[in-house]
Amino acid sequence: LDRLCRYSLRVYTRLASTEGPLSSLAAAASSQYAPARPAPFFENRWLALISKMTTTEYVLPDQWSEDLKDEKGEPMSKSEFKKRQKAKRVAAEKAEKEAAKAAAAAAAPPKAPKEDGPALEDDSSEITDPTAYFENRVRYINAKKGKGVNPYPHKFNVTMSLPDYVAKYGSLEAGQQETETTVAVAGRVSSKRASGAKLLFYDMKADGVKIQIMADARNSDLSLEAFTAVHNECKRGDIVGVEGFPGKSKKGELSIFPRKFVVLSPCLHMPPSLHFGLKDQETRYRQRYLDLMVNNEVRSIFFTRSRIIQFVRRFLDTRGFLEVETPMMNMIPGGAAARPFITHHNDLDMQLYMRIAPELFLKMLVIGGLERVYEIGRQFRNEGIDLTHNPEFTTCEFYQAYADYKDLMDMTETMISQMVLEIKGSYKIQYHPEGPEKPAIEIDFTPPWRRISMVSGLEECLGTKLPTDLESEETRQLLADLCVKHNVNCPAPQTAARLLDKLVGEFLEEQCVNPTFICDHPQLMSPLAKWHRELPGMTERFELFINKREVCNAYTELNDPIKQRDLFQDQAKAKSAGDDEAMFIDENFCTALEYGLPPTGGWGMGIDRMTMLLTDTCNIKEVLLFPAMKPEETGPKKDADK
Amino acid sequence: MLSGNLTTGTMRVMPHAEPQLRQCIPFQSRLRITKVPLRPSLAQHTSSHEKPSYRPAASGVATVSKQGKGPKSSDNKATQSASSPDEVRNVRLKKVADLRGQGQEPYAYRFDRTHYTKELQEQHAGLAAGAEDASGAVVAVAGRVMAKRVMGKLAFLSLRDDKGQIQLYVEKARLETSQPGGFEVVKGLVDVGDIVGCSGGVRRTERGELSVVAEGVQVLTKSLQPLPDKWHGLADVEKRYRQRYLDMIMAAEVRDTFRARSLIISTLRRQLEERDFLEVETPVLESVAGGADARPFRTFHNSLRRDFTLRIATELHLKRLVVGGFERVFELGRIFRNEGVSSRHNPEFTSVEIYQAYADYDDMMSLTEQLIRACARAVCGSTQLTYQGTPLDFGPPFRRASMAELVREACGLDLEPAIMAAAAEREGAEGGTAEGEGAAALAEAKAAAEAVLAAHPDREVVKALPKVRSAPSLGHLLNVLFEALVESRLTQPTFVTQHPTDISPLAKPHRSKPGVTERFELFIVGREHANSYSELTDPQEQRRRFQQQLERHNGARAAAAAAAAAAAVQQDEGSEASSNGGEGVSSSRPSQAQGGTHGSAAAAAGSDTSAKEDEDYEISMDDDFITALEYGMPPTGGLGIGVDRLVMLLTDSPSIRDVIAFPLMK
Repeated sequence: LDRLCRYSLRVYTRLASTEGPLSSLAAAASSQYAPARPAPFFENRWLALISKMTTTEYVLPDQWSEDLKDEKGEPMSKSEFKKRQKAKRVAAEKAEKEAAKAAAAAAAPPKAPKEDGPALEDDSSEITDPTAYFENRVRYINAKKGKGVNPYPHKFNVTMSLPDYVAKYGSLEAGQQETETTVAVAGRVSSKRASGAKLLFYDMKADGVKIQIMADARNSDLSLEAFTAVHNECKRGDIVGVEGFPGKSKKGELSIFPRKFVVLSPCLHMPPSLHFGLKDQETRYRQRYLDLMVNNEVRSIFFTRSRIIQFVRRFLDTRGFLEVETPMMNMIPGGAAARPFITHHNDLDMQLYMRIAPELFLKMLVIGGLERVYEIGRQFRNEGIDLTHNPEFTTCEFYQAYADYKDLMDMTETMISQMVLEIKGSYKIQYHPEGPEKPAIEIDFTPPWRRISMVSGLEECLGTKLPTDLESEETRQLLADLCVKHNVNCPAPQTAARLLDKLVGEFLEEQCVNPTFICDHPQLMSPLAKWHRELPGMTERFELFINKREVCNAYTELNDPIKQRDLFQDQAKAKSAGDDEAMFIDENFCTALEYGLPPTGGWGMGIDRMTMLLTDTCNIKEVLLFPAMKPEETGPKKDADK
Repeated sequence: MLSGNLTTGTMRVMPHAEPQLRQCIPFQSRLRITKVPLRPSLAQHTSSHEKPSYRPAASGVATVSKQGKGPKSSDNKATQSASSPDEVRNVRLKKVADLRGQGQEPYAYRFDRTHYTKELQEQHAGLAAGAEDASGAVVAVAGRVMAKRVMGKLAFLSLRDDKGQIQLYVEKARLETSQPGGFEVVKGLVDVGDIVGCSGGVRRTERGELSVVAEGVQVLTKSLQPLPDKWHGLADVEKRYRQRYLDMIMAAEVRDTFRARSLIISTLRRQLEERDFLEVETPVLESVAGGADARPFRTFHNSLRRDFTLRIATELHLKRLVVGGFERVFELGRIFRNEGVSSRHNPEFTSVEIYQAYADYDDMMSLTEQLIRACARAVCGSTQLTYQGTPLDFGPPFRRASMAELVREACGLDLEPAIMAAAAEREGAEGGTAEGEGAAALAEAKAAAEAVLAAHPDREVVKALPKVRSAPSLGHLLNVLFEALVESRLTQPTFVTQHPTDISPLAKPHRSKPGVTERFELFIVGREHANSYSELTDPQEQRRRFQQQLERHNGARAAAAAAAAAAAVQQDEGSEASSNGGEGVSSSRPSQAQGGTHGSAAAAAGSDTSAKEDEDYEISMDDDFITALEYGMPPTGGLGIGVDRLVMLLTDSPSIRDVIAFPLMK
């Protein structure tokens, strides 16, 4: 409802200018020929919805439901509903006939005064009311089915993809035609224009490219009447198959000149306008297929995403890593500190957690003798949704026996800088951290990257020395005082680890626009990392920050089972003290460590965040095909039959 | 960008100039040998605490402990052996302390290996027995000690790494020229199971064993638990799955299985990418579980305060992308079904689903053949292989036969005319009158089917009788007969085609035969490996099919609830039967081989008791998917292949648990 109200505000002005948007189709028909473009589909749809809620006129819903009320607020029986529905249909049909007549009257005189047959229809004769549009299209396919014609043909033999077509014939001269060649292509009609009684121009899109279909009755085997009938069945948004010869129009537009033209899959809804695009974010994410249909740049985001993953895979494969799959459902959610999803296995009557990281399993494989392994896959965290968090996200983790965190830092620099160079063509990229309207920044991936040791870095910024014993209560108090002093908010529980994390976020991460390693985290923040060989109390760990956000996290793995168990126990203490993001103890993993994990470097990267950087997007939803959304207020109808 | 003041202090450990250079050199060719200087002070007093019974064997796994694994076997032996695992652990913990006492960290940070053992074996294949590598090059290897024997001033260690095995030849005099006291470390502080690094020259011993002649030996990771005594001899299959890492340490073929798995997946990926398919990721957490008929897992998102189900197929999201204009997409990923665990079922499994616009099921059949052949060639080097003793040939085109045809072949009963007639009738008259005649035809067919099954010599086949009786339609009946009579007999690859519409809610009607769809399933060794169809693109028809599926599902659910209520009166007797019966019938169908749908294949099949188990979950209509179809989906061929089953087939593994690294265990 909240969203509807916001929409209603926006749409109200439009409402005021028309007289009763759902009133009669005749009115709609008369406005069809107004010079203004039809309003984008979604506004229309909302307009229809709003009008249902705001006008006093009673609108019959599409489906009967138990709680359906009539205009007086009385419950409506199913038979009454059906009666009304029929009446509405009859009225609509009548109105449509009148509209068609009016259209013919309006269109006929100037265009084809001598012809008696139906004229060619194009986008300008589109019905502007979405409901009527849909009903009209459904009637059309039902009529076809009634005649025993399948409106959804089984197969159309495409001989060439549209990008290949463009590549092959893009260099033809204006006006040149290869009449001897026969090509079959297919795609979605994005616009349709009639020119006289015998010629139609379509734009057809597929695979991100566009060509023109120049349908000329003179090239068709069909009679003019049949030609007109075939083409009048096709509307903007339909998937069509075209067999014909390639060429260019006189204006130089790459075209196909059809001998055969088939609608392969009709679009029953008014498609989003190519002219206005599809901007509404909710709709874009909820109905991604519409977004992809209209917005080419959205398509390209997902190609980039795929290339990033391919690059990482190739990089690791050539270095002898083995890709593996570890469980997404576990008895214990280990390998990270995060709130897990809980589910239940019926047959075994067992509670299971969705994984929050594959780390512990991958280390067990290294123990098993697979010395270089990686996994690219989904992780699940039961956290709030925001610009950088989705409940499920994709990571790559790799583990390399006999390597340490310094080896991994070098590897990270190589991997990511080469990736950026390959995908963006330069080490330096433009990025809009606050959206395309706000100013851009430059991020420079030229290696080597800056490395900051965490505690000494923090000491520099704060101008105080931090005690070496970070575990003591005095230190915790000192950190809490520092947070207060510098106005850094740390919600309870104020453990030393959490306080430090906040200070680092405020003072160090803020400096990390270009790729920067923050290294040597205190042990109390890193229960799975190995103690630092030189800095007491610290670990051999790094996080890579780019644009102030963590992209990678890696360490020399802690492989001393006794120390690991101690650190897990500390986590358990923190958990019982109220830190519900502290880690669980995984006894199985500790046992595995006792069989001996070789010295190993382990590494993780967030694929979604990397993709955001390389596609210049600042909302994680932009790089996920189907991001998690709040439940829709007008949720999906349940059991529409009863 | 470097602000000097921030990087002072600890930054010395991270030189900036070097990393680029070092990274560019392949790992294997980095020739930085770690010499291992050890102080001569040795803790000899600890070395005798552990009394392992080292067998003087040149290879294989040395016995560390005679302790049995289970409490049962330990009863007798524990008294004989001085070292229980706990005692061994304590001894080894002491060695950890001793090593630290000597200034050597028993959990090292890194090691620069110059060669994998396999590389050395290959490079020096021609080295004669007793000969030393003439170049005198120093190599460094690292891995796990799998066996150890000490003979006076000589020690032999068998070292295994990711790619192979080699012997470490430790001669006291030679080692101690560069590492004083090193021999005592090897003798006293290195145990079987430890990870060690070793550098030295290469020679082949008189007995023909290629060896690294140790000039430096370092404990890289001290193991605390003894490796198991015997592994494959013991039938403790549970333990193998629960402690997969041990399984991998002990059995090279287990590691090979997972290498093969990785190779199969990368082959599939490469084949598809070469054909211009785009790999995508669609959600695991869904609001409506669709694309198959299976019980989903449920979970709850705290901050959104909403329920999610885990995907049971990727189909509906991938088809939305085809609507959106991605004409060739695939997703290779995890699917989740809340079903029993068996040798063929794990609650999470991997499938690849592939969608290609403008293709039909015929095109998908040739794609399937190509993909499976490519994987077989990659893993087995040939399209001819053996699975559990049965020779299989993927070379020639796979046999294609319709489901009705196969049933007719098996039992003489031809249901196709009845199915076609029923469909034609349904088309003619909407509901009403045709219903009665349809019921008559169904009853007649059931009677014939019952007669066929009852007379069948195979007991397993006779067991399908209840399913015949409860089949809600001719299509379901055909499927029941197929499963009972044909499925397990399809050993060589066979495309079973033209499934009835009733059991294929997402498949397009056959272009010329009413009542059946353009669908196929690929069967090999009696198991379904792929499922595919010309996708249903008609939104009205799709809605009708979903509706029908919902009604059947809810009907079966209600019937099961009623039956359960009735059974409750009869008490426990019934409950036992239900769990047994349910297991038996459910395992055959809602199968995981297909990434695609099973449609209502499993729906309403089976006895009331099994239905209770199978159907007691809610399904709902995915309206948004139908809306997507209303925007127009091009004619599309879809294909799902069960990756785990393919890996089983190509690695000759009898159980799905052999090909999943960490299967779910009770």
